[in-house]
Amino acid sequence: MKALILVGGFGTRLRPLTLSVPKPLVDFANKPMILHQIEALKAIGVTEVVLAINYQPEVMLNFLKDFEAKLEIKITCSQETEPLGTAGPLALARDKLIDKSGEPFFVLNSDVISEYPLREMIEFHKSHGGEASIMVTKVDEPSKYGVVVTEESTGKVERFVEKPKLFVGNKINAGIYLLNPSVLDRIQLRPTSIEKEVFPEIAAEGKLYAMVLPGFWMDIGQPRDYITGLRLYLDSLRKKASPKLAAGTHIIGNVLVDETAKIGEGCLIGPDVAIGPGCVVEPGVRLSRCTVMRGVRIKKHACISSSIIGWHSTVGQWARVENMTILGEDVHVCDEIYSNGGVVLPHKEIKSSILKPEIVM
Amino acid sequence: MGGSEERVVAVIMVGGPTKGTRFRPLSLNTPKPLFPLAGQPMVNHPISACKKIPNLAQIYLIGLYEERDFALFVSSISNELRVPVRYLKEDKPHGSAGGLYNFRDQIMEESPSHIFLLNCDVCCSFPLAEMLVVHRSYGGMGTILVIKVSPESASQFGELVADPVTNELLHYTEKPETFVSDRINCGVYLFTPDIFTAVQDVSSQRKDRATLRRISSFEALQPANRSLPSDFVRLDQDILSPLAGKKQFYVYETTDYWEQIKTPGMSLKCSGLYLAQFRHTSPHLLASGEGMKTAAISGNVYIHPSAKVHPTAKIGPSASISANARIGAGVRLVNCIILDDVEIKENAVVIHAIVGWKSSIGRWSRVQASGDHNAKLGVTILGESVMVEDEVVVINSIVLPNKTMNVSVQEEIIL
Repeated sequence: MKALILVGGFGTRLRPLTLSVPKPLVDFANKPMILHQIEALKAIGVTEVVLAINYQPEVMLNFLKDFEAKLEIKITCSQETEPLGTAGPLALARDKLIDKSGEPFFVLNSDVISEYPLREMIEFHKSHGGEASIMVTKVDEPSKYGVVVTEESTGKVERFVEKPKLFVGNKINAGIYLLNPSVLDRIQLRPTSIEKEVFPEIAAEGKLYAMVLPGFWMDIGQPRDYITGLRLYLDSLRKKASPKLAAGTHIIGNVLVDETAKIGEGCLIGPDVAIGPGCVVEPGVRLSRCTVMRGVRIKKHACISSSIIGWHSTVGQWARVENMTILGEDVHVCDEIYSNGGVVLPHKEIKSSILKPEIVM
Repeated sequence: MGGSEERVVAVIMVGGPTKGTRFRPLSLNTPKPLFPLAGQPMVNHPISACKKIPNLAQIYLIGLYEERDFALFVSSISNELRVPVRYLKEDKPHGSAGGLYNFRDQIMEESPSHIFLLNCDVCCSFPLAEMLVVHRSYGGMGTILVIKVSPESASQFGELVADPVTNELLHYTEKPETFVSDRINCGVYLFTPDIFTAVQDVSSQRKDRATLRRISSFEALQPANRSLPSDFVRLDQDILSPLAGKKQFYVYETTDYWEQIKTPGMSLKCSGLYLAQFRHTSPHLLASGEGMKTAAISGNVYIHPSAKVHPTAKIGPSASISANARIGAGVRLVNCIILDDVEIKENAVVIHAIVGWKSSIGRWSRVQASGDHNAKLGVTILGESVMVEDEVVVINSIVLPNKTMNVSVQEEIIL
């Protein structure tokens, strides 16, 4: 079985992290974002994954060779020379997605994390016999997104409403699709939107069905949602009683600690924290609702909350970092500094406090 | 004094990638030394100035950038100016004097009698031939280019005191807190090969002190220079300061313009200064606006031959348009740098801004700033491939590469 992951472009909303690596390789819960999806696909028997990208293919391809070998799954890239929107890339990768078997193929949006109930989706797709299935998820503020209006009992999609001003429903497109190869005949090789052009056409013929996504869902393409997403993800690990979660007197709530990370005495870690490979957390540190990426050193007595600390950065002694502070790669916060929402580009040293949210270039 | 075969070598320090973050967002796409001012890469200006040096044998560019970043540039500039230019990559930072010393073998290859040391990010008239003349008359180890500035701004630089009669350097101090002098170091120097001995002395002294510290714990408590490796030698603090007043260094004062190009805002100002200089030294480089088919030109303007400018546009003063840019009908450009492959559509206005490579400025849109070159958001900077949609206004803002502006903004940094 095959799958396409829409990786897209520059990931500007996740800057400054994406100034150092392409977005799919930004770590989430100690694993590159795209690896979560590739593993979920591998688990249900997908043998080939095509990545639709339009930016930095060389960097991606290098990493992918690693994953290909470890996961024993074939990974290829389909590179757009001009942005093709959300449907065009499918046309571009046509030859890679269809084979003689006539099986449907998955399409995933790379910014999304969820539990990926892909096996259930295959069952759902078979049972309704339509041309395409999409996952929808319930949200509190549907007008921020595209709402999918469905027939309650069958899940048949009646229509899509983009950012509705009045309430029409609270289910939105979760960015996970299972499509029959015939869908590709509807897509031309030009910039095309799958929500605005392709799906409405299929829905009009009564061949599009929506399944409500069980479990959590988050679009982690921007820092605030990334942090919320980590909470949801770790929560789902807790529900499955995953052994990956850390335990101990210094741990509160759900915490992920890479086995190569070191945590000193007298620390209090959690809730909702991920600490990456090779990190050193010195004694007396308080971490909550934050992600600490590979190779970071947090010095003694520091306190970090609701922030993302980029690869190989350091946070000084007694520093306090909070309120959506995002440190890019190799950023060094000096001792005793306070950062309230500082967004710091890579290779910087922070020698004076940041009292209100600002971008430090 | 000097023989007829006195060869001179020039060394231009170009810096490195992670060091200067002040030049972001432009430095995200291009090494600062290659950013164009008045239509030519920043480093071209000191290189062209070196051509005025009699008996110039070689120009070296020393920096921390990868060799491949400079390979193309170096070969084309060598051809164009008919002067050998080579790029030497430092394996690690050695300090301003240490860098020179690190490559002393190459520099001394042709046994030059004199060595110029220039900083790439200095914008001035580079009076190098005049410096050579006075240096010979002083007979010291080095001559420093200095300029008088306002007392308030002097503390940002190296302040020096010189004897008004002999021009000997009497005192030098880097970025002092209290007022020392309104004469500052321009970052342009002329040395004799004795400079290498001076650097070596500093290195050995530091090694000796390090050894002493290991023996005597009292030495270990001394704060200064504790963490500097012995091969990291700064010209200002380690050589000029200690040797001031010892009849080794002299000064040459310039009354022309001088600026440091540390930020994108300053690069716009310096582009204007160089355009003004071209008016005197190379007016053929500037756009003339003669004839019915060309756009209206005001003041000093540079337009690359491959750029297309609609005849109803009005360009200048102080505008610079790079290769393959397309300027549409009725466009107004004032004090700006338009980089390669930019498209500016009809009736748009750009004032006090830098528009990045491949960007597109929509019809009737407005990209402008206050024009305060020193303020963080005083010049609007659009990075590479930024799209400003029709009728959108972008004021006093910085936009990082690959963004689309579909709503107007003021005083913002758009990541």
